[in-house]
Amino acid sequence: MTRPLRLRLLLRDLSIAAAFASMAVSGQVPLWAFGLVLVAVLMGVLGRRPFARYPRLTAALLVPLAGVLYLAVASGQMDLVVAACSFAGLVAAQRVLSESSPATDGQVLLAGLLMIAGGAALSGELLFAVCLLTFAVLASLSLGLAVVEAAVPVGEPVPVRAVMRPLGRGTFVAMLGAMAFFILIPRLNWNVGVRRASPGLGTATSGFSDTVRLGGSGTLKSNPRVVLRARLSPDPGTEQLSSYWVGRTYDTFDGLEWSTIGASTKRHRTRVTLRPGADNQVYQRIELLPAYGSRTLIALETPAKLGNALTHTALGDRRTQLQELGGDELRFVEEGLGYSYEVYSVPPGTDTDPGRMNQQETDQLLALPDNLDPRMEELARRVVGDEKDPLAAAQKLSAWLQREYEYTLELSGDVADPLRDFLFVRKAGHCEHFATALTLMLRTQGFEARLATGFFGGERVGDEYLVRAGDAHAWTHVLVPGRGFVTVDATPPAFRANQSLQLIETMISLYESVEALWRKAVVDYSFRDQLDFVRSMSRPPRDASGQPRPSSSLPPLRAWVTAAGVALAIYGLVRALSQRRARRPAQEATRLVDAVERLLARAGLPPREGETLEDVSARLSGEAHPLAPVLAAITRRYLEARFGQRPLQSGESARLLAQLRRALDDGRPTARAS
Amino acid sequence: MRARLRPPRTLKVTRMGRTYLVVTFGVGLGALNTGNNLLYLVLGLLLSVIILSGVLSERCLRDLTVRRVGVDGAFAGEPFAFRWGITRREGHAFALTLSEADSALTGEGSVGYLPAGAEHVVRADLTAPRRGPMKLLGVRVTTTWPLGLFAKTRVFELPGTLLVYPRRGFACGPPEDAAVSHVGEAPSPRRLDGTGDLAGLRELGEHEDARRVHWLKSASANRLLKVEREREERRTYVLEVRSGLEAEALERRCEEVAEQAHRLIEAGHEVGLELPGQRLRPGAGSGQERALLRALAWLGFEDEREEEAA
Repeated sequence: MTRPLRLRLLLRDLSIAAAFASMAVSGQVPLWAFGLVLVAVLMGVLGRRPFARYPRLTAALLVPLAGVLYLAVASGQMDLVVAACSFAGLVAAQRVLSESSPATDGQVLLAGLLMIAGGAALSGELLFAVCLLTFAVLASLSLGLAVVEAAVPVGEPVPVRAVMRPLGRGTFVAMLGAMAFFILIPRLNWNVGVRRASPGLGTATSGFSDTVRLGGSGTLKSNPRVVLRARLSPDPGTEQLSSYWVGRTYDTFDGLEWSTIGASTKRHRTRVTLRPGADNQVYQRIELLPAYGSRTLIALETPAKLGNALTHTALGDRRTQLQELGGDELRFVEEGLGYSYEVYSVPPGTDTDPGRMNQQETDQLLALPDNLDPRMEELARRVVGDEKDPLAAAQKLSAWLQREYEYTLELSGDVADPLRDFLFVRKAGHCEHFATALTLMLRTQGFEARLATGFFGGERVGDEYLVRAGDAHAWTHVLVPGRGFVTVDATPPAFRANQSLQLIETMISLYESVEALWRKAVVDYSFRDQLDFVRSMSRPPRDASGQPRPSSSLPPLRAWVTAAGVALAIYGLVRALSQRRARRPAQEATRLVDAVERLLARAGLPPREGETLEDVSARLSGEAHPLAPVLAAITRRYLEARFGQRPLQSGESARLLAQLRRALDDGRPTARAS
Repeated sequence: MRARLRPPRTLKVTRMGRTYLVVTFGVGLGALNTGNNLLYLVLGLLLSVIILSGVLSERCLRDLTVRRVGVDGAFAGEPFAFRWGITRREGHAFALTLSEADSALTGEGSVGYLPAGAEHVVRADLTAPRRGPMKLLGVRVTTTWPLGLFAKTRVFELPGTLLVYPRRGFACGPPEDAAVSHVGEAPSPRRLDGTGDLAGLRELGEHEDARRVHWLKSASANRLLKVEREREERRTYVLEVRSGLEAEALERRCEEVAEQAHRLIEAGHEVGLELPGQRLRPGAGSGQERALLRALAWLGFEDEREEEAA
């Protein structure tokens, strides 16, 4: 057995890595399976195949691994599809570490195909597309090389360079074909036994849990993943928003954690009104991306109406309902890959209703923890002085905190009293410390306040605003009589928005915009999109209002596309016809020779074995045969037509044959053919 | 008739191709079941690859010219070298496998890469199951290019005949005594060893006459040494295949005669052949052996020979 081509094995192993990665980007593959496959692929890439000597024994190792996966599925710890995909990865790993053979190679690449299918079921990430592309290219090259390698006789080199070019072109064409199929295959949905899609790799936001523990590490601030896209009306027109996106509020602090006493309602509604609206409300069309990782609705301060929500799932979009919880929190009833909904918010600075609160909730706005450090009240009194206006007092305290305390994310380990630690020991903390300190100091002075969490900021991309996971923030709501809850932020302004590196942020932005395109064009492609595509090919384009677009001096895009298609068709036709014209004389000349040989055979002068018409003519000339002159002329004309680029004229072939027939009939030479 | 009914191209799904189709079907079902667009994308890629495979393999089989280069000697039951010359007028071809179509010949030759213009000679070890003339109808050219999922085949009609000699290696007994001594070379019928001056000594070969042993030298060398003279002994044998033999008996006799003829001619004797309705005059050398083998190969297939001659 000859040694397999190393390049082919390398391509094969890398394609398997890409296939496995297509599943791994979903973040659902168990770590141990991930580790095993990673090690196997690395060894394969390095050319080490330790299982080659023990193929059966090592294949038997897959049985206990299958058992482990089965138990994980049976106990509900693992999804069936995830388990199946993981097992396909392990099978591929075992094959990668075994001796290469046509059967092994086929099994490896088919396992890769299964993993790609599994990846499609597990993940909607853009990275899946990258993995799919990588797998398709590498696996095609590897398979193509294997086919040629099998046909090359032993000992001869495999023509790698000659193979790669047509294979590469073929793979590219296959990609285009895949896109064409993708666009045109009718979208059907039997909707039997579907599974939930996952948010994919990377840290999602911590979400909005029922409690907020003070003193976390705060690494979220450096997470640049986009969690929210919003289109605002009226458009603020600024590049950077300095707005608060509220998710929920907390009114109870026990010294360690914030929570809410308000109970959730059991009603599910499509639209929820939190408070009366006002003039000049800000309309928001918000999309929560999978990286958001929570079901809590986000809206610009101060939301009045929310609704018309859609859940994005692997099956497409569907309407979903909202559930109202305590702390002004609204949640989507159904879990999905992402969500989109509409919100109307009261503009900042507008007097508004504080919202529905019962007496207990109102009383809670002044509640203090039992173990509150008594120095805090003294400190607050010293800063606030005899200020009676809640907002002014809050602003005084906020300015004092920003001036006297430092912002830091370097907080490690739990402390017994994080607020005391912040105010009197460390004198440094992050947004939750500043917001908690402000809220509680206000309460010690009799001002009603609560903690609000959500996001701060917004970066303009196109006509949308992006909010990143690192924009997660906490601030204070001060209840001002007659004005409602007013936002006061004690965190130093420089540290309110996300704090990731600019370069990473730029790269992530680029990735997110490509991913948005991917989701719009591929993941969310629907039957309606197909119909629109077909319509767009047959009808003039219309604007959003459904009216035909005003005519411009330039032809529409479809005219360009059609013209390009027609041009290509004409080019192909001309090329085909030119090829046909080039061959036609040769075919006619060949037919002439065949006819001549038939006539000669009929006359008892068949060409001998391996004898060409030229040979026959020469032989007859040598024998001084009476047919020789006619045949010599025909032979010369044939050679001119066949090789001399002087094609036979119309009817010339018939004329030559007629001369030969006459010569045969007469048994004597005729006039020379010309 | 079979050649006429044959479609211009045949397509066979390989083992991996079958699994590929099953996976494609499964992905299609998954896409329909879930409506998952990514599964539709994967399905699109799988279908696209199927079509691309068909197009590329078809392009691979276009513009080809095939001819048989021939064979030196084909013996039944053992591989013999067979060659085809294959040329591509334009473009490239990959992973071509050549074999004889609709023939009992087994085996195939292959070429990994065939550039345009130059003729590539493909060598194959073919095996013929039986003795006699084998009608060759055409050359089957198959490619699994580009991905090995489907094997597309095109048959180039190329009529011809391959004459297969009797099977070699049949253990047979020694031939009967020589029918005729070589006139003039061995004047005395009793003196069958060589004549002339002593030319040398060499080890006695298998089946060689022990009377030529030089006993004295053999005793000193501790092995049997044969005397070689300037004019070696040459006998004339006429081997015979009786009429009336059929099927297996005829085959065995042909193999036996071929083996005897080979051995005798190797030993320098002249061998003739007496066949039903045909007689070959005794002769020596490889040309004679080839003539004997050809006669033996045609034995029992005279009808086909006449057809060919006609």
